[in-house]
Amino acid sequence: MTAVRCVDLCKTYRQGEEDIKALDHVSIDIAEGGFVCLSAPSGGGKTTLLNAIGGLDKPDSGEIYIAGRRIDNLSKGELAELRLRQIGFVFQAFNLIPVLTARENVEFVMQVQGVPAGERQKLAGEILDEVGLAGLDDRRPADMSGGQQQRVAVARAIVSRPELVLADEPTANLDSKTADGLMELFRELNEHHHTTFVIATHDKRVMSYAKRLIRMLDGRIVDDIVQDAA
Amino acid sequence: MNLVFRLAWRNLWRHPRRTWLTTGAMVFSNTLLVFMIALQFGMYDLMIDNTLQAFTGHLQIQAPGYKDDQKMRQTVADIVPLAESLRAELTTASIAARGTAFALVSSEERSYGIAVFGVEPEFESNVSTIPGLISKGRFLGASDAAEIIIGAALARNLRVDLGDELTLLGSGRDGSFAAAVVNIVGIFDSGVADFDRSMTEIPLGLFQDVFYMNGSGHHVVFDAGGIDGVAELQSRVGSLLPPGQDLVVHDWDALQPGLKQAIKADMSSAFFMYGILVILVAFSVLNTQLMSVLERTHEFGIVMSLGLTPGRLGRLVLLETAIMGALGLILGAILGGVITFWLGIRGFAYPGMEELAAKFNLPARFFPQVSAMTLLIGPAVVFLFTLLAAVYPALRLHRLHPVEAMRAV
Amino acid sequence: MHRLEILFRLAWRNLWRNHRRTLIMLMAVVLGTWAMIFMTALMRGMVTDVVKDGISALPGHVQVHHPDYRDDPSVANLIAVSDADLSARFNAAGFVKWATRVRVPAVITSEYDSRGVTLLGVDPEYERDLTFVDYDSVSGRFLESADDSGIVIGKKLAETLNTKVGKRIVLMSQDPDNDIADRGFRVVGMFEANIKAFEENYVFAGKTTVQKMLRIGDQVSELVVLGGDYRDVEAEYNKTVELIDGSGEVKRWFELDPYLGSMLGVMDGFVLVWIIVIFLALSFGLVNTLVMAVFERVREIGLMLALGMRPINILGQIVVESSLLLAIGLAIGTGLSWASVQPIKDGIDISIVGDGLDMWGMSSVLYPELLLSDVILANVVVLVLGFLASLSPAWRAANYEPIEAITKV
Repeated sequence: MTAVRCVDLCKTYRQGEEDIKALDHVSIDIAEGGFVCLSAPSGGGKTTLLNAIGGLDKPDSGEIYIAGRRIDNLSKGELAELRLRQIGFVFQAFNLIPVLTARENVEFVMQVQGVPAGERQKLAGEILDEVGLAGLDDRRPADMSGGQQQRVAVARAIVSRPELVLADEPTANLDSKTADGLMELFRELNEHHHTTFVIATHDKRVMSYAKRLIRMLDGRIVDDIVQDAA
Repeated sequence: MNLVFRLAWRNLWRHPRRTWLTTGAMVFSNTLLVFMIALQFGMYDLMIDNTLQAFTGHLQIQAPGYKDDQKMRQTVADIVPLAESLRAELTTASIAARGTAFALVSSEERSYGIAVFGVEPEFESNVSTIPGLISKGRFLGASDAAEIIIGAALARNLRVDLGDELTLLGSGRDGSFAAAVVNIVGIFDSGVADFDRSMTEIPLGLFQDVFYMNGSGHHVVFDAGGIDGVAELQSRVGSLLPPGQDLVVHDWDALQPGLKQAIKADMSSAFFMYGILVILVAFSVLNTQLMSVLERTHEFGIVMSLGLTPGRLGRLVLLETAIMGALGLILGAILGGVITFWLGIRGFAYPGMEELAAKFNLPARFFPQVSAMTLLIGPAVVFLFTLLAAVYPALRLHRLHPVEAMRAV
Repeated sequence: MHRLEILFRLAWRNLWRNHRRTLIMLMAVVLGTWAMIFMTALMRGMVTDVVKDGISALPGHVQVHHPDYRDDPSVANLIAVSDADLSARFNAAGFVKWATRVRVPAVITSEYDSRGVTLLGVDPEYERDLTFVDYDSVSGRFLESADDSGIVIGKKLAETLNTKVGKRIVLMSQDPDNDIADRGFRVVGMFEANIKAFEENYVFAGKTTVQKMLRIGDQVSELVVLGGDYRDVEAEYNKTVELIDGSGEVKRWFELDPYLGSMLGVMDGFVLVWIIVIFLALSFGLVNTLVMAVFERVREIGLMLALGMRPINILGQIVVESSLLLAIGLAIGTGLSWASVQPIKDGIDISIVGDGLDMWGMSSVLYPELLLSDVILANVVVLVLGFLASLSPAWRAANYEPIEAITKV
């Protein structure tokens, strides 16, 4: 079963006078349980591809399927539902809602999903322990370091056990030790829960965790290799 | 354009929506104020004019005490020659003598107790609107003719018409029995039944005969044209009073003490409402300017480290506010002026107001008039409060330290 | 349910993020609410006062007359049914506060002067609950029975006529054949009234005595019924119509005096206009605050959208935030207006403008009237209109493209 299938995606941005081809006839299949890294230099199209897969951005042409269901023609509301139920997101920065505590941020998605309070709190507590934030439940984002914030974001992305986790430069603001810890966590989830991961990065160490490495340049896939993860 | 002004102007349009919303609050209040004040003062003028020019006049010469007691014996002696000499001295025809008595007025079928006024037929129309309200017949003629004019409602109640006779029964100046038979020559219709039912007029000469007045009357009435010249006229009339006779000159406020106070009572509640409106606008401005100062903390830190003093920055904030206030003032005055002007032509009515208006001798439809005063007073006060509201945000700048400010996001 | 909870939590926390801005806006809402309710309470108090005094001049909430009496209040227009018959009907029907009266215009003459007055022939036993005269504070005494041969007049009238308790006066009116009907009375009492005009216009004599003087047998001019609450007299009205059964014209007080009747309607309209005007003045600041709040939070709104929160929930969050702010302001403002009515509950003396108030028909003590319905109206209007006003910024927030919003700096 394919978790993600992209067929002939094109997307052009206009930046000033220039047209930039962010996606240029991109087609990929990502199998369920995959652990894929998208790597490209800045402006190489990886974030655009990630956003398109997540239903945040619409391609100009082409088709996208998540778990066999075509999503590029869904309505805003249907896309929101898709993101809420099936996809976990970790963004590069500004991941947390400032007025909510760490635990509340983790609970946020579940609360919108309608998970009962008791279960929500139990899951949130467990996942915060798992990402190494035990005891920091009641801190607000402003009182946490960048790494801590990022781990809260990861906790939130995975707490409701989505089938697919999309992460955009998740380690960008982290020191190497924290980054390794985060990647270990991803791999563990991938192995135990069969969660599919698609990670956009240009961090070499992150790439080394990947089972499959896709390199992009100027909106095109230039390299697609299956590798033994570190 | 000078640099500070240009800076202030550009800063305002960094958040056009916010600036327009704040200005909108001012325009809203200013429009409302212009209209309300025009309506209100127009109404007061009408109330005064309609009440005074209907009958009371702006000034009256009376015997001392007459105003409060209204006794038959409190008279002004030789009242017709007095009025005559005053008309000559002051070179105006808007002076007339009157006498007042109460009588039982009877037709063949009905009787009513009512006030009977003796008036000078030639001059009464200069001090009262009643002669002009004659809807049937004519006003009084010769000064000693046995004639009477009555109101339409009274005519209906007495079941009489033009040409019918009425009998007057009352008591004369000395308390003796007074009686007369008079002919109805005119019927006036003011549109207010209670007013029409409240009085009748007969010629002053006849009045003096019937009520044994011996040449005297009760009041000499002046129409000063408007309320503005009343004080001056009052002092002149005071100096022209015949020596040796104890007389007083009352102005309209003394004659109709309710009028000024009714206006005052209405004004105080109106000003309370206007005040609230102005303060709410000030809050709106305070909020906007405080936000605008706080979000520019970083930027202010930079210019302060370049050597700009908090005082100058404060003036910049005040200038921004003043520009906004001026926009609100101009737009509000224009919008308010246009609406008022339009209603001044078309007329303004409020459901249910007809009955209320009639009570105060006002028409059912108002025609508010635009004047420089009504146009500017409200918006000027709003402008002032707008500036006051910006003082706190401007003063906050003094608490800013350049280094900390620059660190702020 | 869970969604609602998170909406409230986010709205509440966001509200206090910029506490300065929220507090300023809150102060404006509190002031506006206070002004709405407090001013309305004062105005209601004034109107109630005018209406009550007006009704006390009528007096009686439902009245029965000869169909022609209102236009022609003379002795010729009496109720067709005899007084004894009316009494039998109304007593049997269990009415408590009602009376019959002879009410005709008359001239009162002392040895010094005469005046037109309204003569009320009353039965003191029935009249006690209805009249504006307090029997116990009459100097001298009030009438003792329907065939009392004395007369009770107002203090002001007594001064004008130069008479006092114990002196004699003569009343003149007419009988149904238009013959002069007159009779000497001894003044047995002098009353004082809230409204000075009452003291000049009304005199009271025994009903039977007046019937004899006017030669009208056992007939009366009017029958009046007092209900519990002047605002709702339908029950009394319907029952009276049934009892009178076509032999007289039955009218409610607001039909008898259109000025008073329209007063209540105009007041209701005014209250609503006032509340809306205040709200509009507030709304600019409110929308401004929300616009700023949304603007500051573009990125987190984008984040929430990206995480799968539906736009409608983003909209809900802003609307809830605005509603919370208004609700707090309304609660404090309502409490404050209640508190500021307490110290003046027993009336505030506004006699500085006493004569003016007389003219508006008010007495010089003002009793504020805080009506629950007005409080509810103000709160509901502000919440509903506030909800509508917040929709525009909320709509904007809900329609952000998540990916653009989240990357916005």
